Amino acid sequence: MNITVKVDGTSYTDEVEPRTLLVYYLRETLGKTGTVVGCDTSNCGACTVLLDGRSVKSCNVLAVQADGHEVTTIEGLADGETLTPVQEAFRECHALQCGFCTPGMIMQATDLLATNPSPTEDEVRVGMEGNLCRCTGYHNIVKAVLQASGQPASSGGEQA
Amino acid sequence: MSDAATEQGRDRARVDAPLKVSGLAPYAYEHELEDPLFLVPVLSTVATGAITGIDAEAARAVPGVALVLTHENAPRLALPTIPTLAVLRKPRVRYRGEIVAAVVADSLETARYAASLVRVDYAAPPSGPDVRLDPEDPGVRPLRRVMGVYPGQHTVGDVDGELAGAAYRVEGHYATPVNHHNPIEPHSMVALWHADLGPLATVQPRSTRLTVWDSNQGVVAPQGVLAGAFGLLPTQVEVISPYVGGSFGTKGMPHPHVMVTAMAARKLPGRAVKVALTRPQMFAGTGYRPETRQRVALAADEQGRLRAVDHEVFAPVSRVIPWVDPTAGPSLSMYASPTRRVSYRAQHLDIGPGTFMRAPGEYTGMFALETAMDELAREMGMDPVELRLRNEPEADPESGRPWSSRHVATCLTEGARIFGLEQQQQPGGRREGEWLLGMGVASASFPQMGMGPSLARITFTGGRYVVSMQASDIGTGAWTVLAQIAAQALDVPQDQVEARIGTTDAPYAIIAGGSTGTFGWGSAVVEAAQAFRAEHGSDPAEGATTRARTRMPQGVRGVRRMAFGAHFAEVAVSEVSGEVRVRRLYGHFDGGRIMNPRTARSQLVGGMTMGLSGALFEESYRDPRFGHVVNADLAGYHVAAHADVVDIEVGWVGEPDPWMGATGAKGIGEVGIVGVPAAIGNAIFDATGLRLRELPFTPVKVLEAWESSGPAPAATVR
Amino acid sequence: MIPPEFDYAAPGTVSEALALLAEHGDEAKVLAGGQSLLPVLRMRLNAPGIVIDISRIEEIKGITESGDAVRIGAGATYQDVLDSALVSEHLGLLHKALTEVADAQIRHRGTVCGALVHADPAGDVGAPVLALDARMVIQGPDGERTVDASDFFVDLFETAVGEDELLTAVEIPKHTGWGAHYEKFVRVSHQWAIIGIAAAVRVEGGTIAEAKVGLTNMGSTPLRATSVEQALVGKEATEDAVAEACAQVGEGTDPPSDLNGQADYRKHVAGVLTRRAVVAAAGG
Repeated sequence: MNITVKVDGTSYTDEVEPRTLLVYYLRETLGKTGTVVGCDTSNCGACTVLLDGRSVKSCNVLAVQADGHEVTTIEGLADGETLTPVQEAFRECHALQCGFCTPGMIMQATDLLATNPSPTEDEVRVGMEGNLCRCTGYHNIVKAVLQASGQPASSGGEQA
Repeated sequence: MSDAATEQGRDRARVDAPLKVSGLAPYAYEHELEDPLFLVPVLSTVATGAITGIDAEAARAVPGVALVLTHENAPRLALPTIPTLAVLRKPRVRYRGEIVAAVVADSLETARYAASLVRVDYAAPPSGPDVRLDPEDPGVRPLRRVMGVYPGQHTVGDVDGELAGAAYRVEGHYATPVNHHNPIEPHSMVALWHADLGPLATVQPRSTRLTVWDSNQGVVAPQGVLAGAFGLLPTQVEVISPYVGGSFGTKGMPHPHVMVTAMAARKLPGRAVKVALTRPQMFAGTGYRPETRQRVALAADEQGRLRAVDHEVFAPVSRVIPWVDPTAGPSLSMYASPTRRVSYRAQHLDIGPGTFMRAPGEYTGMFALETAMDELAREMGMDPVELRLRNEPEADPESGRPWSSRHVATCLTEGARIFGLEQQQQPGGRREGEWLLGMGVASASFPQMGMGPSLARITFTGGRYVVSMQASDIGTGAWTVLAQIAAQALDVPQDQVEARIGTTDAPYAIIAGGSTGTFGWGSAVVEAAQAFRAEHGSDPAEGATTRARTRMPQGVRGVRRMAFGAHFAEVAVSEVSGEVRVRRLYGHFDGGRIMNPRTARSQLVGGMTMGLSGALFEESYRDPRFGHVVNADLAGYHVAAHADVVDIEVGWVGEPDPWMGATGAKGIGEVGIVGVPAAIGNAIFDATGLRLRELPFTPVKVLEAWESSGPAPAATVR
Repeated sequence: MIPPEFDYAAPGTVSEALALLAEHGDEAKVLAGGQSLLPVLRMRLNAPGIVIDISRIEEIKGITESGDAVRIGAGATYQDVLDSALVSEHLGLLHKALTEVADAQIRHRGTVCGALVHADPAGDVGAPVLALDARMVIQGPDGERTVDASDFFVDLFETAVGEDELLTAVEIPKHTGWGAHYEKFVRVSHQWAIIGIAAAVRVEGGTIAEAKVGLTNMGSTPLRATSVEQALVGKEATEDAVAEACAQVGEGTDPPSDLNGQADYRKHVAGVLTRRAVVAAAGG
């Protein structure tokens, strides 16, 4: 069926099968491969995008459910070369290793900070519980989210 | 020398971070190619037997299906050197989940649907399959060798005599489960067989016949395997792998989907064929850390000096590849003991093979050995740090060779001071309501193996120095660290240096494995930089190029090189639910020179977090009928999430090791995970008096231990 | 993984949805947020001929006051309910339980009514809804009927909602001023409950005047711990008194045995967790 979805500021109209998952629509039809597939069971959160401003796991949403709605992916956050504070903090705090979970982490952190601009560390850990990092950089990810919120967070440098 | 003063010791952000935070880093599957096809493998539903027929008519009839590949129509290839890769050759199945067919279609949905229509008929073998782990099975055999190099049976001195006459003696049986790597990026690949090459191209050594975008720990592995199988020169196979979404060992050697995808591409020249394994497919066919059953016995004299270390290992072995982790390895090198014995037994089963998983052998073996050391310390009433210090070997006990450097004592004492290690004389005395609190310590070690030399090339172009080699960044930070090393060796700011890695279009390098990348590749980069300056001076002409290889110091074979560390854990154990919560972890490491504190810290904390996850959560359960894993996805295989990990810190000695080549760095990718479960288990003992010898430490196991030990926490060793 | 093929319809009204259900019978699956349905479809545990997406039906959206109750429409997501001041004020237990459902992303899409109809015994919504004596509003070809929560859960993944019916709302009596706690026992955060305890108590002068306790994953449906509720009434809201009343909560239950724990273990832990939940609910 025909759907019209606004993705990262651009409106797209496409023919999709009802069973097509939003993540595959973004990746295969629109070429937005920054949103990745990790687990198939909605556990890892790597495919997280914003749907009408709230975070969702795009492997767990049908493309047809997004018809008439607005999607923001990791590729739509930065303004040209200018990263968002969350992206900048992830870069700064070394909140990534292999980087595969990073798009989902950043999207979830973006949602978290939109509703809770000054979270505690615990709130960050619980708020990010739907995103898995296997490398595993949870520590620096939490720091990055806190730093992006404007709260003090150390740079993750040498401890010894 | 002060690291802080040097370019390479500086805390630098990753060069790949801007791409990764923007979703623009292309992983294997994310490379955009025109008009791709999608491959979905069909896995066997039996563990062994002959394939008596494959009915692919319905699948072939689905509109959009380009190919159904089976043993009947697969290209005939040379026999691969890795036996798992001998797929679609014969009508037979060797383990459940082996690829028996594959469907290629113009959409993933179609391929998936058509794959479900492929019908495979099997004839059961006269007996079997053998899939049940049983140490008493008559088929269990002692192993002569482990991984081809380690002795399977090895005794020094009169172990039994020492055990019989020891002042102190402990003995325990330990078990570790199957673990799966579960990188967040699935194993993925795109294969493109170039169609537009004339017959002459087949004899042109530089004409690329096959291009592969693949997720791996080193481009040389798929390049070599595919070239060999298809009768090509390695130079005719191009592998592109700039970004890899985690590995932990599972992407070290190619798995069957690599062969199958390349075969499909061979039959569909000019079309890119893409595959991304699903999580259950990853559990089925990309290796794992095999389970172990271990027995460790220690004997010590009145002063706590070890007199005997006795370590027996039992493990299952796949009939396809006899993979056994060198689990008893640490027992030969960690402590000074005049008598030592290691012995491996294995049961050959019709299961998929294991493979490298972060610190293979050390992770499982040090769990047993370091738990046993804690048991010995308790038996003697001695401080566990002190017991370890008393058994520090001056030289490698096994070879007699001196250590290249060994700062275990510093890791233990500094770590204990920073962490504030305070154990109880009598466990069970510290509580907060239902929560009993305790602390534990365990040592860590990981050998530094030479994996052969790598080559690095430095070219001056456009005012910048380009360092290229086939190195791979699986998340470690190689993109950043190699550029840093080059910048320092060339004595230029880092923004004048660019690394080019993750492609076969670069000088040969070893794979990212065995924690060798930074020192092995780094040494080649330093050599290349020095040779470049010698040849081209400080004002090189455009295009000036120099190549050099890893060089280790003369006489390196005369020393023993290992990375070391010590872990400290504080836990809370609920006496009512059996839950274990790790409140704090601290690790202090001897990793030689730390090249980049930021990436190093991440590697070590990451290893420790995975160790915590392994200690508390991770376990793959085998189906007793077929031997495959039943909890084969991230809904069933639990890994730690943000909220499960609280306070983890690391520190390090930072002393360069003169025997590690030009960098002075030891590999730190693996040592961080080693010993973490033992430190946590030892802390559980300190909290409760319960000695848990089986991973993971689930609430059920804690409660069962409590029930069998009676109401009062027991402080004695079984 | 990708679901099997199906047709898709997104009706704009309840009557259109009911007409589609009547037409397609057991071939149809209703999708609200899809957070339980899509995993089932992706794993191919179910292959409906048609998916009826009710998320675009305006008349079943919203959370409203309905006399002595709060009415939660079938379109309301977990997050909508969490954000509702009505729910925070009058249905503290539901609010507490919903904070424990899966993770933020899933709470943004999944719906309370969807979870109730899905009826996964390990889900976190059934126990509080049961404990709070909710009424289920079901529409079908013969109009609207109301079913008490105690009659709603039939078995594993099975409820009183017929094939041609739609759960359009759940009405939950206000429990204004009650203390509440949902104690979820998991091995790893964000996972399904091994077990969960939903407890709401009304304390008067340090004594428990009324208590309601629901159990998650202690049987094939959510359960009500009525004997514990009775034992709690009149007890002082102290740790010891509560512990005694809660100890036997597992009696008569038939919890599952799986990789996370055997039935005996669940029964054992249930006693402790019930005590924790009730003490927390009583403000202890």
